[in-house]
Amino acid sequence: MALNGTEVTSHGCDTVPKLFMKVSAERGDRIAMREKDFGIWQSYSWNDYRETALAIANGLLSLGLQRGDVVSIQSEDCKEWLFADLGGLLAGGVVNGVYATYQSRQVEHALTDSSCRFLLVEDEEQLDKFLEIEDRMPAVEKVFVFDWKGLRGFEHDKVAPVEDLYEAGRVYGIQHPDRVDRIVADGRPDDLAILIYTSGTTGMPKGSMISQRYIMFQINLAPDTIRQTEADELLTYLPLCHVAERIFSGWAPLATGATINFAESPETVAQDLVELSPTYMFAVPRVLEKFYSKVTTAMSEATWMGRTAFELAMRVGMRRADALISGEAQSTVNKIMFQIADRLVFRNIKKLLGLDRVHGLVSGAAPISTALLKWYLAMGIPVDEAYGQTEAGVVTATRKGVFRLGTVGPAAAGVDIRISDEGEVLLRSQGNFSGYLNQPEKTAETLVDGWIRTGDVGELDEEGNLSITDRLKDIIITAGGKNITPSVMENELKFSPYVSDAVIIGDKRKYLTCLIMIDQENVEHYAQTHAIPFTDYKSLCANKDIVALIDGEVTRVNEGFSSVETVKKFRLINVLLTAEDDELTPTMKLKRSFINEKYSTLIESMYGD
Amino acid sequence: MTAPLLELRNIETYYGPIMAIRGVSLVVNEGEIVTVLGANGAGKTTLLKTATGALDASKGQVFLDGNEIQNRDPDWVARQGIAHVPEGREVFPFLNVTENLAMGAYNRSDKQAIAADVETVYGYFPVLRELRGKMAAYLSGGQQQMLAIGRGYMAKPRLLLLDEPSLGLSPALVEEIFEIITRLNREQGLSILLVEQNANVALRASQRGYVMEVGGIVMDGASDELLASEDIKEFYLGKKEEGVRGQRRWKKRKTWR
Repeated sequence: MALNGTEVTSHGCDTVPKLFMKVSAERGDRIAMREKDFGIWQSYSWNDYRETALAIANGLLSLGLQRGDVVSIQSEDCKEWLFADLGGLLAGGVVNGVYATYQSRQVEHALTDSSCRFLLVEDEEQLDKFLEIEDRMPAVEKVFVFDWKGLRGFEHDKVAPVEDLYEAGRVYGIQHPDRVDRIVADGRPDDLAILIYTSGTTGMPKGSMISQRYIMFQINLAPDTIRQTEADELLTYLPLCHVAERIFSGWAPLATGATINFAESPETVAQDLVELSPTYMFAVPRVLEKFYSKVTTAMSEATWMGRTAFELAMRVGMRRADALISGEAQSTVNKIMFQIADRLVFRNIKKLLGLDRVHGLVSGAAPISTALLKWYLAMGIPVDEAYGQTEAGVVTATRKGVFRLGTVGPAAAGVDIRISDEGEVLLRSQGNFSGYLNQPEKTAETLVDGWIRTGDVGELDEEGNLSITDRLKDIIITAGGKNITPSVMENELKFSPYVSDAVIIGDKRKYLTCLIMIDQENVEHYAQTHAIPFTDYKSLCANKDIVALIDGEVTRVNEGFSSVETVKKFRLINVLLTAEDDELTPTMKLKRSFINEKYSTLIESMYGD
Repeated sequence: MTAPLLELRNIETYYGPIMAIRGVSLVVNEGEIVTVLGANGAGKTTLLKTATGALDASKGQVFLDGNEIQNRDPDWVARQGIAHVPEGREVFPFLNVTENLAMGAYNRSDKQAIAADVETVYGYFPVLRELRGKMAAYLSGGQQQMLAIGRGYMAKPRLLLLDEPSLGLSPALVEEIFEIITRLNREQGLSILLVEQNANVALRASQRGYVMEVGGIVMDGASDELLASEDIKEFYLGKKEEGVRGQRRWKKRKTWR
């Protein structure tokens, strides 16, 4: 497939602003999104979406925004996030999402590196991060605040409530009725649309340049690769700055017309899920691991009857899962048995989790254990796996009804996948990113002859399904010269309800060791039921019975591996980490290189004799 | 190693279907003052009531000198040497000061010793001596608090549980009462478990502290360590950096480190 072949279009449009103007007019009063306000779900129509986005676009134009100027959004997910996203694009700007969990020095980098002119922030907390570094960012001309609460009486010539922007936009829109339409019509697929900063393992984050064509290419993955339809209810809870949530909740609904539902806050996701019972959602493995732990713990607490019923149902479910995986036909008896199990057991569990209506549960952004996928399948919840990265978007997804656990599915239409001689996965499509902002050398390392080097090691099977072994740079070569892919074992460990995350260490070492982050809720529960006294998180991690519990989990996982591949020692990370900490990515994964550095003394203690 | 004076181990307490205490473990050693900090509804009072048997724990144990005492009748627990000074004083309003103190010694029969102890109480709280014939209902809040502590002392306990002694008192009075609490500990060797919202005064008076939040302990440590912790400063001592605007209203996420 040629790189500069036919243009990528959706609904006959070749850029996001053109598509948005078309579909928002067509959809009119249909509900576009829902958000909770004072505990009540409020709906916003496509008209609301369009009007507010236009007001923002006109407002930015009235302030002198030129094509290609950067507009940054620094907020947790909310309706204003998407309004501003589209508003910035309609005005011909480049939109840059800044993680709400960033500290001010990271904000400084994201704003300076992108030469941001206009900033939209969520509330006073986010505003303060800007004010701290204000004197170092003369390029930022104006800051608008979505939620003015707590700022009454605050005066600053650069800062205003977002309502001021809307108002300026409405006035400007009346005076210049065709301006936005002209800008939209002039838009080209090669225009830079957005910037996505990704946490570099070394140094400051790099800004990936994403063109209109990239986004249109992703939008076109629906409905074949992204199986989302107009009838779907989505749950949006991962940061929209992250490419995955942006694709599934931000862009795909432009093409599909699915309804977006914003989780109230990152802490209330479980509750929101139960209230909404979405039909389509993207999940990082950590979330799916959490649900599994929740059910496992609930079952250990259940009555003998309940436990037995669950075990029997699970046996039936597993039998069905085995048949589905091997592609054998189900016998009628098994079908009936599963119906009964579903009616009596699984349905209740699914309701409890808020997964009773979900038909598209997509896992991605990190590797997931196949045992976990099978567990979900047994309950009658098939989990799709998608694979991609910021530089290429979503490039593969598993097919409906085909269960090749451990693979991330075949290439999406229009995506070429090649495995290099070193085993690295290379990608090429019209949706390739356009390079890293201000980093030509890094761009040259990643974009080679039109192919994106993913940094992942993988294989293609005879059916064209891709499977990812590990990150190329994460592969451990022990002192004995043995190559080890840590993610396989890490995933097995994370499958334990007591382990939240694990990092295997052993590069150029005699043997493998592991740093483990415990699952607070389940380990506390375990301590509670086994009368193990503890006070806080730290004392929990230090308790010898808890260490023994995790030791048991490590030993169990070790059994599945050959001797050189086993973990000989481990330590628990005794600090409860949050998304604000440098140790975690915004999607709550432990950062390997950072962990290696920060906990070097703890690591050395496992190698000292 | 000898057993601690009081030990709670994985205590869970329910109000009907609501879990008010979700697994709390805590230790008071002989001779210590230990503080439990927490906001309204954190479960502090429930914790004391569970320790004295006024509420039953559905899980976990309470040990006094290494012997299990959970879920026994409160009067039995009181006889084992735990005196509970409840939140809001709860003096007997229609009894006078002397009678209130006598109620504290209800379980005792050693008349002479009781009389001596009444004198000791008057020694610590001279104002009570002046008011000894007055009905407790007519005492001021601070005087009632003194009376309640005095009544607790009259049981000659080994451990005194104090539930928010600073509640509704003026800052000067709070200082005075805490000074007497530390003296009782030092001079009479009385061990004290103190539940407070006033972190500053409570942590200065105690050797160790625990921080409770929604029914569980989120932090524990030596009192001076707690006083130095950023989260305690912000959430209990009201000392926060002013922020860039000089009027920060948003709250940091608590991490309890």
